[in-house]
Amino acid sequence: MSQNPIIQVEGLSKQYILNKNPVEKSDTLYGNIISSVKGLRNITRKKETEDFWALQDVSFQINQGDRVGIIGRNGAGKSTLLKILSRITPPTSGRIEYTGRMASLLEVGTGFHGDLSGRENIYLNGSILGMSKHEIDKKFDEIVAFSEVEKFLDTPVKRYSSGMYVRLAFAVAAHLDPEILIVDEVLAVGDAAFQKKCLGKMEDVSTKEGRTILFVSHNMDAVQKLCNKGILLHKGKLLHEGPIDSVISSYINNNVLSNGYFEIEKNQIENLNSLGAVLSVSILNNNDEIVGEVPTGSVWKVKIKFRLDKENEFFVIGYGLQSLFGTPINTSWSSGKRMDKGVYEAVFINNEIFYSTGQYKLAVGLSNNNHSFFYNDTESFLSISDAGVAFETDRIINKDSGLILNQTPVEIIKIVNE
Amino acid sequence: MSKDKIIIDSNLSSFFSFKEIIRYKNLLNNLAKRDLLVRYKQAFAGIIWAIIKPLISVLIFGYIASKINSGESTALNFLYVATAMLLWQLFSNIFNEVSNSIVGNANLFAKVYFPKIIIPLSTILVCLVDFFISLIILVILFIISGQPVHWQIILAPLFVLLTVINGFGIGLYFATINVKFRDVKFIVPVMIQFGMYASPVIFPTKYYLDRLPDWLHWLYCLNPMVGAIDGFKYCLFGGDAIYNAGFFILSLCVSFLFLIIGVRYFFKFERSFVDYI
Repeated sequence: MSQNPIIQVEGLSKQYILNKNPVEKSDTLYGNIISSVKGLRNITRKKETEDFWALQDVSFQINQGDRVGIIGRNGAGKSTLLKILSRITPPTSGRIEYTGRMASLLEVGTGFHGDLSGRENIYLNGSILGMSKHEIDKKFDEIVAFSEVEKFLDTPVKRYSSGMYVRLAFAVAAHLDPEILIVDEVLAVGDAAFQKKCLGKMEDVSTKEGRTILFVSHNMDAVQKLCNKGILLHKGKLLHEGPIDSVISSYINNNVLSNGYFEIEKNQIENLNSLGAVLSVSILNNNDEIVGEVPTGSVWKVKIKFRLDKENEFFVIGYGLQSLFGTPINTSWSSGKRMDKGVYEAVFINNEIFYSTGQYKLAVGLSNNNHSFFYNDTESFLSISDAGVAFETDRIINKDSGLILNQTPVEIIKIVNE
Repeated sequence: MSKDKIIIDSNLSSFFSFKEIIRYKNLLNNLAKRDLLVRYKQAFAGIIWAIIKPLISVLIFGYIASKINSGESTALNFLYVATAMLLWQLFSNIFNEVSNSIVGNANLFAKVYFPKIIIPLSTILVCLVDFFISLIILVILFIISGQPVHWQIILAPLFVLLTVINGFGIGLYFATINVKFRDVKFIVPVMIQFGMYASPVIFPTKYYLDRLPDWLHWLYCLNPMVGAIDGFKYCLFGGDAIYNAGFFILSLCVSFLFLIIGVRYFFKFERSFVDYI
């Protein structure tokens, strides 16, 4: 290949040391003293920490002008990779070389201050992203036009709607002009039209100006549209690298061909602020056995194991099905009630709507008082297989049938007599 | 546009780079501007608070000083206290703000790369603005007391700089510790409170040294603010403010030692701040 790589990553690893016993946090001097006193007492006992490799020996090259989608499940190391690339955190070992100016958008509106006006925030945010005053002056009108908030430029951004806020924030970042742009799921915010505009802007920047883009998203649709290359990470390791289509299909196969049991969150990680979390999701058949695939037309159940860390006044658990590209298909939820702290299992029985053959994403969520405090749509999947002879029906079923409803009455009237 | 080759490796420490600071000077200004704008937004009295705070200290401690040190006129006593107090407040503001600056702005560098030293540097700008506003108090007291202005006043900025160095050096050291141990937030105000009585703020250095046993004199002068305050007083009033040249130099050395330790410690851990915040 004639092109030189603009980014070269060699043997990149990142290790985090997790505190196994979160109660004795060593974040304060007191905690440190306590744990060292305890350490002296149990000098023979192993230190209660656990190594965790967020990234392990990852190597790849990116050429100039490539639009690279970085995909993988939660905890695959995508964000860690971006953080190391953008020099926010150092790697434990390995090396990266890149040429030119890099801008990373791991969050929209970093440094935005609610009390400052839109105008003041453009200058502040621009300078945080590394723009000079001259550059911001030059681009100011463009930024304002892109953000569509002209009228509110001198209003403090705390009075902005969330849509306006995001538009302004993205507008600043979009006018950065870096050689390498790193974007992490910022498109999950804003309305559909604006998301489209952002994707379009990123595509423009890349194709017209030859800039390199690294894009992390769970939205396969967006990744497929924007990127030409892909990197698939799995548990910190590089699993697949190449043209985007092959990487996406390897991601889908890797995820969906499962045994019907999906771990969502480990039990031991206790977050003091959280109300609770979903621990695992299992797909069951009618006999309550965990199954990897459900034949079309047969009854299946979703068993959701979850943990509540506090008493919930009006607790609702829900799950939904989406296409692999994130289009919602249906949602079901429990009726709200008071629930104590503890670990529970909820079973949703699905016997009314049948789905056609294919793979679906399964989203799970928990809420209290109509406020959603846990949501995950990236870890669990449902696989519907061909029914075979077991499904006795006179309907035509193929892969693209979508929902198979048997309640819709149809009347057929002849309107032209021959 | 610069076509620098950037290498990222596992080396934890970084280094002090003027080139990078210059490149990010726009951020330096904007962060300082943000802090100033935000502080006085929705405050009715606005920037006047930058005067009221030191004025109250000057009034209280000036009154105490004039009761105890009745040899001088009241106006002069107030003037002496005000001189030292304003400089001390510059130091304590920088010390306190710098030590909290890294933790307080973690949301910025957790998401975007920029040289982190910019944050404490911008804090200094903010404190300096407050200091220059509060100098109005000094000007008024000079006029009231009819105190003549000496030629040495042209050296005064040097001691303001020395004060900045003191606050910055110690502040950086504590800012680094603060990343891992939030206890700093509580320790620093205690140190400042104690430090004011251990510095020639209310009384001159002579007053302290006369009352301390000889073998403790050098310990007193290890306080880097002794050199800064005495030097500043010398610039404004001339005379014997610098009580002992040897002690004065000792105090200056401690200032620069603190600066070197603070800066080195900061850059030793700077790259891994995000992992501990």
